[in-house]
Amino acid sequence: MESTGAKFDVTKLDLWYGQTQALNQVSMKIEANSITALIGPSGCGKSTFLRVLDRMNDLIDGVRVEGTVLYDGADIFGSADVIDLRKRIGMVFQKPNPFPMSVFDNVAYGPRVHGLHARTAAEKRHLSELVEKSLVNAALFDEVKDRLHKSALGLSGGQQQRLCIARVLAVEPDVLLMDEPTSALDPISTAKIEALLDELKVRYTIVIVTHNMQQAGRVSDSTGFFLHGELVEYAPTKEIFFNPRDKRTENYISGRFG
Amino acid sequence: MRRRGSVARERAAFGVIRGLSLLTIAILALIMGFILYKGFRFSNEVRGTVLPYAERSPDGLALVVGGGIDLDSLDFPVLYGMYTDEYINWAKISADDFDLLPIAIDPAKPDGSATAKLLFGESADPQWGGLVKTVPDAAAALALLRSTPGAAAILPVDALRASTDTKELRVVPIRRLMLAANEDVVALVDNRSIEDLDDAALARLMGGAVKNWKELGGPDLTVKILSPPAGSTLAAAVASGRPLSAAKASIAPPSMAAYETALSGTSGAVGYSLAADAQAAGLAPLTLKTVESGWNLTWKYLVEAPRLSGKVGGISTIILNTLLMLALTILIAAPIGVAAAVYLIEYAKQGPLIRVLRLGTETLAGIPSIIFGLFGFLFFVNILHFGFGLLSGCLTLTLMILPTIVRTSEEALKAVPRSLREGSLALGATKLQTVLRVTIPAAAPGILTGLILGVGRAVGETAALLFTMGSDYKLAKGLFSSARVLSSHVYLLFAEGISFDRAFSTATVLILVVLVFNFAARRLVGRMGGVK
Repeated sequence: MESTGAKFDVTKLDLWYGQTQALNQVSMKIEANSITALIGPSGCGKSTFLRVLDRMNDLIDGVRVEGTVLYDGADIFGSADVIDLRKRIGMVFQKPNPFPMSVFDNVAYGPRVHGLHARTAAEKRHLSELVEKSLVNAALFDEVKDRLHKSALGLSGGQQQRLCIARVLAVEPDVLLMDEPTSALDPISTAKIEALLDELKVRYTIVIVTHNMQQAGRVSDSTGFFLHGELVEYAPTKEIFFNPRDKRTENYISGRFG
Repeated sequence: MRRRGSVARERAAFGVIRGLSLLTIAILALIMGFILYKGFRFSNEVRGTVLPYAERSPDGLALVVGGGIDLDSLDFPVLYGMYTDEYINWAKISADDFDLLPIAIDPAKPDGSATAKLLFGESADPQWGGLVKTVPDAAAALALLRSTPGAAAILPVDALRASTDTKELRVVPIRRLMLAANEDVVALVDNRSIEDLDDAALARLMGGAVKNWKELGGPDLTVKILSPPAGSTLAAAVASGRPLSAAKASIAPPSMAAYETALSGTSGAVGYSLAADAQAAGLAPLTLKTVESGWNLTWKYLVEAPRLSGKVGGISTIILNTLLMLALTILIAAPIGVAAAVYLIEYAKQGPLIRVLRLGTETLAGIPSIIFGLFGFLFFVNILHFGFGLLSGCLTLTLMILPTIVRTSEEALKAVPRSLREGSLALGATKLQTVLRVTIPAAAPGILTGLILGVGRAVGETAALLFTMGSDYKLAKGLFSSARVLSSHVYLLFAEGISFDRAFSTATVLILVVLVFNFAARRLVGRMGGVK
């Protein structure tokens, strides 16, 4: 992998929750406009790693981080503005978490907090176009176009998760981080989201944490295998699945543990 | 076998639980039903001496009042009181707010002597009150009646008929028939005396069904009914009150004098009498009891301003004061309480200081309101010189309900899933934006529940308000104006013995206010939830 196109360049990352070390000397380069899957058993640190990338771990008391994470060549722990960072790096969570407001307001939330006030007619049109575009890109628009102003809580689980993706897209980010986005969904909703990922890859860099090995195999370009806080193996997905170099990777992928 | 036993136990337990819950519902229904019934309907035993039969023109005379006086009929003892200075205004007579001016035609004139006879009977020494204005003739009385709102006059009916302009005036029928008995009948014998007669007992007595006074709880004397002498005023009055004339007389004295002598001289004697004559002759009246009932909570009661400590008038200003108090209290308490809860949950580092703060809040929530009242009295009323008024009261109430609001808001904020906050922050929202746009709206139903609880406590508060807000029943004129609210009005009506009926109807209004608030808040919560 050439280092010039790397979106993220993580070097020797250590992370502690209080006294417990959750990540140990993780180094990893994530390519732009690709899908990177992070796999591993529960508690291996893959979600923690994902949350480092947009500094969501800042919200948890007693977290200590060492090492460097470069995003487009700039250190995210340095002078970077965390608000701006999170605006450019969107995150989709394991459980759909729509806000208790209308579908429209959910999608418009991001633009609004970033200062898009629909005061004039032009601004209003711009906002509703943005919302529509985001919903279209999240493959949800056709299903919700008649109920944009009804509560988002009335949507199905799969629709809610695509709404959360649309909500992230509306902020026009650069990177999408997804923390097991389909683990709470049924197979049909999962298929829809996987198809969506393939389309989104063209415009965004996607990092996805998944428990589902088949999913990692289906959607990702490269895969990283985490175990006990360490990045055991990180390679193009085909290599990881068909020709793993590490014995532990092979054991995990062949289903001997995990 | 064992299985069957456990099924039986289950069934018994279910029965007990169901019985207890039904009992709870029954008790609730009883309390609410009783208060609401008493609030809407009143039903009182009234004791008096006059019979329920009113004459429009006793002895050819009529009591005339101005049209502004709200009076359908009048008991003779009240009429007597009007002309003997017992009453100085209409408040206790008709609940009207006028000074009383009793007018009588000069007793020296022929028309005047009839008035004296109506009021004082054959008494040699009429006790005219000092308020009574004597006029030379009926025309002068009518002129005075028209010019004075609180005037009342006793006039010959003929003079009234002759007058051309009586539109603004009203003739009030008088109830003056009563039952007089011999002194022995009403005497206390062996610690027993005759009971108050209700309608049924009265009918039995005068129908001749009662042979001995013992049957009515009186002494062991035979009942002897006297019939009024033919041709007398009394006989005419009794005859015109048809339902009463069924009396079976056992003695029929020939003249009024003999009639009165027979009443006072015959042991066990009873007979009709005119109130004025009985008073003059010193006859003992029998006490009658009747049940008066009617609507308690009327539209008028809601829209009229209270007068005379709430004894008359309505409660409109008190309702408005209550709404003002609630609005002001929520206006002060809600922002402070919600802000405190947001700070405690979202911003404060959870340390010992916060624990102490939380313990303090919980303790405050349990302190009796009278103590808040004492504090408010000393601090707001005296030290800050706010005086008795809306502001002092509302600040005291704010202190009282803040702990409730803070605690429930805290719980509501805590219940907002972490994932919602993270979702907002991950979109690049700041902490403040997240709190204002996501966390508080998501917690709004819970916060509103806390506000309703607080309002419920505030609207029901009496003790803390009496010492801080005062008890002026006029509409509050400003922040420093003393104001009475519904709960303190109920308390004062009850504690000062002004009127139980009014206390109940005010209590009903209070309950309705609380219900309306709860309902409105629920609707608001429903709309905030946004679903559907």
